[in-house]
Amino acid sequence: MKRDLLRVNMSDLSITREPLPEGWRRYGGRALTDAIVFSEVPPTADPLGPDNVLVFSPGILGGTSAPNGGRLSVGAKSPLTGGIKESNSGGQAAHALARLGIAAIIVSGKPADPDARYCLVIEADGSTKIERVDEWAGLGNYELADKIAATRPENDRYATIQTGPAGEVGAKAAGIAISDPKGYPNRFAGRGGLGSVMGSKGLKAIVLSDKGLQYTEHADKEAFQAAIKRFAAALKEHAVTGQALPAYGTNVLTNILSEAGGLPTRNFSEGSFEKADDIGGERQAETIKARGGHEHHACHTGCTIQCSRYWMDKDGHYKTKGPEYETVWSMGADCGIGDLDDIAELDRACGDLGLDTIEMGATLAVYMDSGKLEFGDAKGALDALMSGADGGEPGRVIWDGALATGTAFGVAHIPTVKGQALPAYDPRSVMGIGVTYATTPQGADHTAGYTITANILSVGGTVDPLKPEGQAELSKNLQIATAMLDSVGLCIFVAFAVLDIPDAFTAIHDMVEAHTGDSWDPDALMQLGKETLAFERLFNEKAGMTAADDRLPGFFKSVPLPPHNIVFQVTDEDLDSVFDFVPETAKEMGIS
Amino acid sequence: MQVNVALFAHLSSFQPDGEAGRRPRAFDLPEGTTVGAVIESLGLPDEPRVLFINGRHADEDTVLAGGDRLAIFPPVAGG
Repeated sequence: MKRDLLRVNMSDLSITREPLPEGWRRYGGRALTDAIVFSEVPPTADPLGPDNVLVFSPGILGGTSAPNGGRLSVGAKSPLTGGIKESNSGGQAAHALARLGIAAIIVSGKPADPDARYCLVIEADGSTKIERVDEWAGLGNYELADKIAATRPENDRYATIQTGPAGEVGAKAAGIAISDPKGYPNRFAGRGGLGSVMGSKGLKAIVLSDKGLQYTEHADKEAFQAAIKRFAAALKEHAVTGQALPAYGTNVLTNILSEAGGLPTRNFSEGSFEKADDIGGERQAETIKARGGHEHHACHTGCTIQCSRYWMDKDGHYKTKGPEYETVWSMGADCGIGDLDDIAELDRACGDLGLDTIEMGATLAVYMDSGKLEFGDAKGALDALMSGADGGEPGRVIWDGALATGTAFGVAHIPTVKGQALPAYDPRSVMGIGVTYATTPQGADHTAGYTITANILSVGGTVDPLKPEGQAELSKNLQIATAMLDSVGLCIFVAFAVLDIPDAFTAIHDMVEAHTGDSWDPDALMQLGKETLAFERLFNEKAGMTAADDRLPGFFKSVPLPPHNIVFQVTDEDLDSVFDFVPETAKEMGIS
Repeated sequence: MQVNVALFAHLSSFQPDGEAGRRPRAFDLPEGTTVGAVIESLGLPDEPRVLFINGRHADEDTVLAGGDRLAIFPPVAGG
């Protein structure tokens, strides 16, 4: 099993390949991107300058047939948060990288000519080249995907990694698009502005051909096959991963969060949306079926849950993926927009421009809260978003996210932590997720420690979402487990099954051991999660973050949220306890 | 007493009027009716579920009060 580092220097356009250092052999995905950013980026570096690096890494199980094992981690210092960032995506790139024997691509430096555009091409035989593609400057992600396709031989099999126009102009909310199994550039490492880090390096696209390459080899093939059977069975058996997610997709959450009073509506001013059912997963599934769309499919080869879907316009033509729950919330409830076609239009625009849909919806809601636009005005929202395309206002400031926009327009309630917008769960009526938003090194991020499981969904136990007790412990355990899954390369949705079916966790352990040939005890998997988080916390500390950055904006503690009329009540002391393990873990790792 | 009952995802087909959909239906129930009794009368499949009364988690033993809104979900998740 070959695992190399591919170093791409955009200052002198050199490419070198070296073996993964022995000290990092247990790292993949998020652990590896974090280790590299921690070791190679000065914490005070300009995120869009030559000293930042952009890292792409498949997880430990990347390139194998492990169910849901094809997640990609993208890492760098974030232009949005000023801290370390790992943004995680589905799509085909992770498997392609692993089959090419690449544990990580590390893009460093910056071209002298800001107008130069480049495309990095890695062929299935391992050969690499950097092509000058100035004529692709400014292309949207969908047209860019077509241009790339025109350069490829017939019957090629390849994945793409792209940045859109927003990334080229340094927008702080720009994401990176990853191609899905049909070649649409619609899976995203969306959060934290990494599309701009890619743009700052003049790197418009990466093409990874894995034509003819097989699954990566295992240390013990028989044991691996036995473990994946057990893991697949657990995913199929669990009601969420086996039934609800394939049937309704992630947007099945809209109705339940609205019911629970935790669906942030009109810029976090209410917790239930009167049009929730008009935009929820059930209505979405009915509409997709009626229009002949894809009702469910895998976002990457080997995913057995299949929560992805395509949204078709009224004429039955592909419009965009999903839209996913987080997007339906941000462009829908948070903006007071109650129509799925309007939401899909905004999702498509963000996908093509290369913008994070969570940040953009939250930002448009903040803009509406300023009084410049009415809540519910979908056309006005699209116009405001598109006005950034030629550098105009308010679009250009909107592309920099909720904090920049709220500051520019004098909005009182700006829902951000570490500069990143809160996602689709209000921390006043779902207090566990508030702990995750406040404390994760990523800036407000639901995926970092998804307490919605026990707070709302009764998965992995129950913790009352309306009380502060037990939330810090819940968030801490989930943050460690998530960092582990992100490093192994598994989709975090497997956690729904893992939290309820003990053998699913054992199966993950057995897959990792059989694949790598290294001995791992189950504690070592959790240690992997802790080490990952230690890199992140220490980097942020050196970048200047303190306990004051681990707090929610004040209005969540002072302005009650209807319908439960409740405020966030977890104490600062509890928040500060979440990462109490870091000093000890760092000591064990020999880092400081 | 009157209680509004909303059923979600695949459970909506169990609404007695046969019209599915997530909109709540008004049920006339005797005082002291429990959530479990409603579930039984609807004939919901025997599987785990998530229950809310007026937006707060409830369980099958919870006794309903007039004017309550009862929402019943099968196991769902996403993110």
